[in-house]
Amino acid sequence: MLLRVFPRRRAVAVLCFSATLSASSAVHAQMAPSTPDPYHELETKYLFGFTEGADIGAQGEQSVEFESTTQFGRRYGQYGTLEQEVEYESVPSQYFGYELSAHGMGYSVHDVNGAANTQGANFSGLSTELRYLVIGRGPGSPFGLTVVAEPEWGRVDDNGQPVTDLSTTFRGIIDTELVANHLYAAANLVYAPDVAQSPGQAWARTSTWGLTSGLSYRLTPKVAAGGEAEYYGAYNGLAFQAFQGQAFYLGPTLQVQFTGQIMLSAAWSTQVEGHAAGENHGLDLTNFPHQRGNLKVEFEF
Amino acid sequence: MKASILLAALAALAISSAPSLAADATLVKVSLKDHHFVPAEPTAPAGKPITIEVTNQDTTPSEFESKTLRVEKVVPGGGKITLQIRALTPGRYRFFDDYHEDTTEGFLVIQ
Repeated sequence: MLLRVFPRRRAVAVLCFSATLSASSAVHAQMAPSTPDPYHELETKYLFGFTEGADIGAQGEQSVEFESTTQFGRRYGQYGTLEQEVEYESVPSQYFGYELSAHGMGYSVHDVNGAANTQGANFSGLSTELRYLVIGRGPGSPFGLTVVAEPEWGRVDDNGQPVTDLSTTFRGIIDTELVANHLYAAANLVYAPDVAQSPGQAWARTSTWGLTSGLSYRLTPKVAAGGEAEYYGAYNGLAFQAFQGQAFYLGPTLQVQFTGQIMLSAAWSTQVEGHAAGENHGLDLTNFPHQRGNLKVEFEF
Repeated sequence: MKASILLAALAALAISSAPSLAADATLVKVSLKDHHFVPAEPTAPAGKPITIEVTNQDTTPSEFESKTLRVEKVVPGGGKITLQIRALTPGRYRFFDDYHEDTTEGFLVIQ
């Protein structure tokens, strides 16, 4: 209002503001920043729980990760699994990173529809993850884009039964900073073809596709929390020949960067809506679990 | 089969897009002294590969790291390292000493 009434004052104010900015830039360019902003760049790969961020890490980075994934709740009975992965991760170039993983699984399945009762733990398979950074987020690009392929060999299925399972999960990842160094968002497009053979049976071909998204806000420089939404569809056939079911999950996420070398991320996901082919239930507990949890601890060296 | 082809393509893409060790790369020299980068804001031209040479004048080791440059490497006390960086677009790319991130940082200014 004051500036509208007094145009000459407005001109002076604009000049002063410009001069201050110029002076400030000149001083900034000459001096080293004395106290770095604690809200500096954050790696987004594990920021969004089951949804992945586009970062691949820095060339020369190597780490060991321990990842636990649990699933609870199928149609009727009692169902619970806990998969433990030990992963070695390396980033040999500024565009490419990979992981090598060994999996073990503990399971307890009792009176679940279509599954034999069983309980135990076993070595459950091996996998690798290949990440290629198409567009790096940073100066010149407000978003990052990464494509990922995760081939996996499994020897125990989700119900704790022996199986020979070969699958690859393909993932297209895009992420951005909605508020620089504070508020992050990501979306994943997922396609996972799978061929599996149980003892004495023919090979079964199935596929899953998914669309997931996550939002995460830095509460402190080292702690970020948020939430994610995930949709998955399950089909018979590698190219979605016959619909089997779909599920929609919602859940919270957390990441804590204890030091530059130690990071923890956690996520919990609950199926809030779903539908299995040929059933009249409000959730798909035939193809997907009711609850999922994930915990990762990374040690960089 | 399709998966194998895609994986091979991915690997080929990764190799082909690795930053080239071009002879015409711009050399940027940075020193670490008393756990501070000197200069704190070196400059380099846009659109050309960059070689960063980091000399550690301190007696203790440091780790030169940058999330936007996507590199990290340990610099021994009294030692020197070089890093090859891809051609960059204009902007400020933060780098830091991962062993002293709260106090030791600089910016590569691409113009």
